[in-house]
Amino acid sequence: MKKRLLIICIALNAAICTAQITGSIVGKVIDGETKHPLSGANVTIRGTFIGTASNDDGEFRLLRIAPGTYTVVVSMLGYHRTVDEVKVNAGKESRIDVTLKPAIIQTEQIVITASRREQSLQEVPVSISTVTAQTLVDRNSITLDDALRYVPGVNFTQDQVNIRGSSGYSRGVGSRVLLLLDGAPYLTGDTGEISWEVIPVHQIERIEVVKGAGSALYGSSALGGVINVITKEATEGSEFRFRLFSGMYDNPRYPEWKWSSKKRFNSGILGTYGGRSGPLSYILSVGRTVDESYRENDTYHRWSFYSKTKYDLSTYRSISLSANYLTRTHGNFIWWKSRREATRPDDEQRNGEVTSNRGSVTATYKEFLSDKLFYTVRVQYFGNFWRDDSLGRVNNVSASHLFHGDAVATYELSSENFLTAGGSANYDIVHSNLFEVLGIKKAAPKGVGQALYIQDELRFGRAMRLTVGLRYDNQKVSALVAGSEINPKLGFTYSLDDATTVRASYGAGFRYPSIAEVFTETSVGIATIRPNLNIRSERSQSYEVGGTHRFGEMALLDAALFHTELENLIEAGIYRDSTGYFVQFDNVVKARIDGGEMGLKTYWFGGAIWTDLGYTYVWARDLIRKIALKFRPRHLLHVSVGATEGLFRTAIDFRYISRPETIDENLAGFVTHYDARVPIKVVDLRASYVLSDFGLPMQVGLNIRNLLNYHYVEVSGNLAPIRTFFLSIEGVL
Amino acid sequence: MKSLHFLFLVCLLLSCDGGLTPPPAFDPGFGGTITFESWPPSDSLVNVWLFASQIYPLDSIKIFEGLFTTRKIFLYPGLTQSLPRYVDSVAYSFAPLEVGYYRYIGIIQQFNMQLSIRSFRVVGVYKNPADTLLPGEVDVRDFSFMSGINIKANFRNLPPQPF
Repeated sequence: MKKRLLIICIALNAAICTAQITGSIVGKVIDGETKHPLSGANVTIRGTFIGTASNDDGEFRLLRIAPGTYTVVVSMLGYHRTVDEVKVNAGKESRIDVTLKPAIIQTEQIVITASRREQSLQEVPVSISTVTAQTLVDRNSITLDDALRYVPGVNFTQDQVNIRGSSGYSRGVGSRVLLLLDGAPYLTGDTGEISWEVIPVHQIERIEVVKGAGSALYGSSALGGVINVITKEATEGSEFRFRLFSGMYDNPRYPEWKWSSKKRFNSGILGTYGGRSGPLSYILSVGRTVDESYRENDTYHRWSFYSKTKYDLSTYRSISLSANYLTRTHGNFIWWKSRREATRPDDEQRNGEVTSNRGSVTATYKEFLSDKLFYTVRVQYFGNFWRDDSLGRVNNVSASHLFHGDAVATYELSSENFLTAGGSANYDIVHSNLFEVLGIKKAAPKGVGQALYIQDELRFGRAMRLTVGLRYDNQKVSALVAGSEINPKLGFTYSLDDATTVRASYGAGFRYPSIAEVFTETSVGIATIRPNLNIRSERSQSYEVGGTHRFGEMALLDAALFHTELENLIEAGIYRDSTGYFVQFDNVVKARIDGGEMGLKTYWFGGAIWTDLGYTYVWARDLIRKIALKFRPRHLLHVSVGATEGLFRTAIDFRYISRPETIDENLAGFVTHYDARVPIKVVDLRASYVLSDFGLPMQVGLNIRNLLNYHYVEVSGNLAPIRTFFLSIEGVL
Repeated sequence: MKSLHFLFLVCLLLSCDGGLTPPPAFDPGFGGTITFESWPPSDSLVNVWLFASQIYPLDSIKIFEGLFTTRKIFLYPGLTQSLPRYVDSVAYSFAPLEVGYYRYIGIIQQFNMQLSIRSFRVVGVYKNPADTLLPGEVDVRDFSFMSGINIKANFRNLPPQPF
């Protein structure tokens, strides 16, 4: 007992001593117009890891700060950020009260993906779109892909993302879009696909979508672009956030497609406990969702876990550990029985079930060596385990283990010159009956890769910026020849005035085939999939010119033209020989993608009414066969109109995706009525109300997805979701 | 502002067509015309059927199982009914029919009252349009009906028997 008291006394003494040799910064953040406290504003000290977010009363506390003068940055989406100099004295509390002025147009939007450091959106030489946490809440996004369907240039074919025509459809295998979670790559080791459901949507601070292969910092798999998911930081003290939602599927328009007499629901509960105590911050999140689906044998059961722990070793050093895990069981609806029975699976799929477990652990160390030199070292493990069963018989089993490590440093050589350099390495191994290497029976395919890159950003005066980068990639998987590439990148921006910026970029890209694209050998129902050991790496040369113009506080216009030359594009195809139909990945020798994109945001009556218009034209074709590349729609359009009145927000969204000109005609060998396709024309309606007037820190929402119950397919034989009514409630306790 | 709202209204109207619809409800099957030549005398003509078999080649066991157990062989117009006799031709519609791949389709004659395999013979076969020496095949799919499956039956010039 005495020993324990002694330890407590020593600890208290140490704490008192620490408080006496350090100081603190406290303050309050308020809205410049309403004078209401602002919750969730980011408060950081420039050049350090010290930071927090304001609580529900708008207050913040930054503790244990060494005496000195610091630059405090307060930022929040929808407001102009403020920068203040604050002097901290030992044993004293320095106070700053910050008033944030609302910004109708977010001209100072900060992004980090293009250069792995904070940059104003206007400084970036490539096209970037962002999705905010508020948009995720308003849209009642359940999985990450829900949130991205209204980003200009982004198209989904079921769960396979396609940025500006870069990808067709291959059930997600071999993604040409690199998904990052807080900067760490997030593609599975076996199929190289994105797992959208692993990332808890309610933990997302914002999503940045980089279009094209214009950055040297991201290599293989970033041929079409990068999606970086930035998660929220814990706030001072502790809090519990929750989200409940329940959606009910309506009946399809036609009685032939109504397969169940009972109502089908899509519901979930998500809870997060997090906080910050001294140098330690932590977030633990658990989610449970059940989607009964509008189709037979398509029910999804999911459990998800997510945690993020960060410890500030000092003002200039921090270490963090994040982990996530998803366990999922779902029916095996691959294609419909027929267009007549579009909500029932083919007979062979009626009893199938797929079980998958995916998870990752990432450890990150960050250090400011000086206020000009900053580096990050990261190691990651990503495991992906799945199996599919039918009538108690296990058909396919796969277990993949991916190890990844990277280090990157950013050095501010001068106020006009930022240098970023780094390297990464990966190793993955797959144990599966799907991926047996031909001739080496039962040997597990392995992949190894290394990369080195350097990127220099130069400013010439206030107006012009030049980015020059070089990247070396080396990749190898079992039985294939190693692929090595050195690719240059070049970017340029020029600000004509405060309202207008023009940009241009060039980037060469390279993607080595994933293990699944080379080795998959199995049967799915009547479909057989064959390996292709002759497959080659794909390469691209991308060019883009664009510009942004702000029309006062009324409108923001962004426009771009892009051109991509592709060599040995890896595409899934269905072929036929004397034994029947089979699926195989093969190279499209030469392809070209041309297009243009335009985004226009307008704000009326001080932002009370807003509109958002995005249009992308994509012309993707196979230059040898002189036909359109498969599964690439030529026109993507989205229009949103919204209104805000006090605590009430509402919006209506429309998206149009033209019917892809070419799909695989040999799908006829598998899917009845495979060519039953129409243009996609979907309207969503959403409304939300913040209950703070009732003393409740909550928001309730109503969403009607596919309001007009429009029936369409994204993939042959797969009727897309019908009209669904969602109710949601999200709050903080 | 007005033009954007107008654009949005146009978008809404575009979505009102409902999109995909179910196809008309066809019974799966096939149809065409059967042409007869050289009818036999009535004392050697008990029944005449159109048959469609998913199995080929056949033997007596496969025929029995296909008709009564595994349901892989089907008769038109039915086991207790016959095609019209002593006509030059007849149009037929063999539907609804089990969905599947039919490898052997033709006309079969029962020429005496004994229920033995020796009481039956094939008098006409649907021929492969690309190679008339081979039986033609028909893929019967859900809600699709194939027409133009025409068959010639000649009671004096029999095709190769499958058993």
